[in-house]
Amino acid sequence: MAIIDDVRSIIAKSLNIPVERLTPDTRLDELGAESLDVIEIVFGLEEKFDITIPLKADEATRLLEAGGKGGTGSAGDLPFATVGDVADIVQKLVAAKVAQ
Amino acid sequence: MNRVVVTGIGVVSPIGSTREKFWSGLVEARSGIGPIVNIPTERLNTKIAAEVRDFDASQHFDAKRQGMLDRFSQFAVVAARAAVKDAQLEIGEEIALQAATIVGNGAGGMNTLDDSFYRLYAQNATRAHPLSILRLMANAACSQVSMDLGLKGPTFTIASACSSGTHAIGQAFQMVRSGQAPLALAGGTEACITVGAIKAWEALRVLSTDTCRPFSKTRTGLVLGEGAAMFVLEPRDRAVARGAPIYAELLGFGMTADANDITAIDPDGAARAMRAALIDARVNAEDIAYVNAHGTGTALNDKGETVALRKAFGDSAERLAVSSSKGVLGHSLGAAGALELAATALALHHQTIPPTANYQEPDPDCDLDYVPNTARNAPIEHAMSSSFAFGGLNAVLVLGRA
Repeated sequence: MAIIDDVRSIIAKSLNIPVERLTPDTRLDELGAESLDVIEIVFGLEEKFDITIPLKADEATRLLEAGGKGGTGSAGDLPFATVGDVADIVQKLVAAKVAQ
Repeated sequence: MNRVVVTGIGVVSPIGSTREKFWSGLVEARSGIGPIVNIPTERLNTKIAAEVRDFDASQHFDAKRQGMLDRFSQFAVVAARAAVKDAQLEIGEEIALQAATIVGNGAGGMNTLDDSFYRLYAQNATRAHPLSILRLMANAACSQVSMDLGLKGPTFTIASACSSGTHAIGQAFQMVRSGQAPLALAGGTEACITVGAIKAWEALRVLSTDTCRPFSKTRTGLVLGEGAAMFVLEPRDRAVARGAPIYAELLGFGMTADANDITAIDPDGAARAMRAALIDARVNAEDIAYVNAHGTGTALNDKGETVALRKAFGDSAERLAVSSSKGVLGHSLGAAGALELAATALALHHQTIPPTANYQEPDPDCDLDYVPNTARNAPIEHAMSSSFAFGGLNAVLVLGRA
């Protein structure tokens, strides 16, 4: 299973929405996610891939508050706005883990 | 209706466990936050907390009694004894039989629970200690205070997370005001700086690894604390008749629920609690000189609380002095409201506003007077102390100068 599919399935489960609604371009803030949802999603990803995603609750809130204004939020310095962004972060962290 | 006054204050805190040390630490903005020393930190990302470092249980309890007391009960009993002593209170038959004992705590005996589960799950111990339940039950601290002082009136624990202490004191205030109890011992206690509890807080991603900087643009989250504060509350007439010290008068109590988000502060719910407390106190918003804020140091709380203060106080918010004690005390959850009521009562007593510690830079979202870093002498006739808990539970007290 590609990483993007796992990411979609974890996000869909946390937000209780059909996985088909999620494409790489789907924005988390447009899905009605609240900051606690983002934190739950990040936890799900960390558990699934055995990685650590450096996202604080305040950043999750900023991300969601940015709404349609083009804000990105961040995990460390990486964008964390769309499903594709999240998959990219996971990809990078998994690759870094393998390289170790 | 009785007028209700605070005649005794007992504290166990990260900046010292006497009323004098506590007050001087607050006024000097001497932060009790530092590297964690009481538990192993190898598995923690968060290596700072506001621990009570000068507390030696063996100085207060013999070995057998100590074995019955989780740390949160030890704190409560020591604070309660200090409050009774501070109030110069002799516990006679009427008080013993009728005084209320109400203690707020968000968790229970977390150290006992954590230790017991570690032994069972990690070390494969066969059995738990027979006193485990008696140490960890949520009402343990309250029951131990009652037993220690021989108080046999209405006695119970209030749990409303970070509002527990304020709810407990507010409830006791109402009972003394109405005459339901002739006197009350009330406050809050918490001791849950354990590996398991910090891990759980880390998972919420709200802990700072730097320090607690309430209302500062540079704030990075909350820092866990621990401690207890207990108070003697009694009718003003009784206090005057027996020549007791009077630190402040309790004037009003307001409580609301947000019925909204489980973590985020709801400015409407918080403002409604502030207004309810003002109405109960029959004090106008413009007559409040000082608010001891909840001020956790998270981006969301401090911004939302500022909005709530503006909603509740209107134009007079501009003239309000607001400070958070959490830069000094950390966030001691169920004890926080009680320790902060001690700060507020002592502010009225000393006519001095304790500052917001660790403040660095103004935030456009937090645009009130937060009394940054330096205490301020000011005439204070009325003050407010606010607590806003996870679960959307808000509790606010209004006090007046004695």
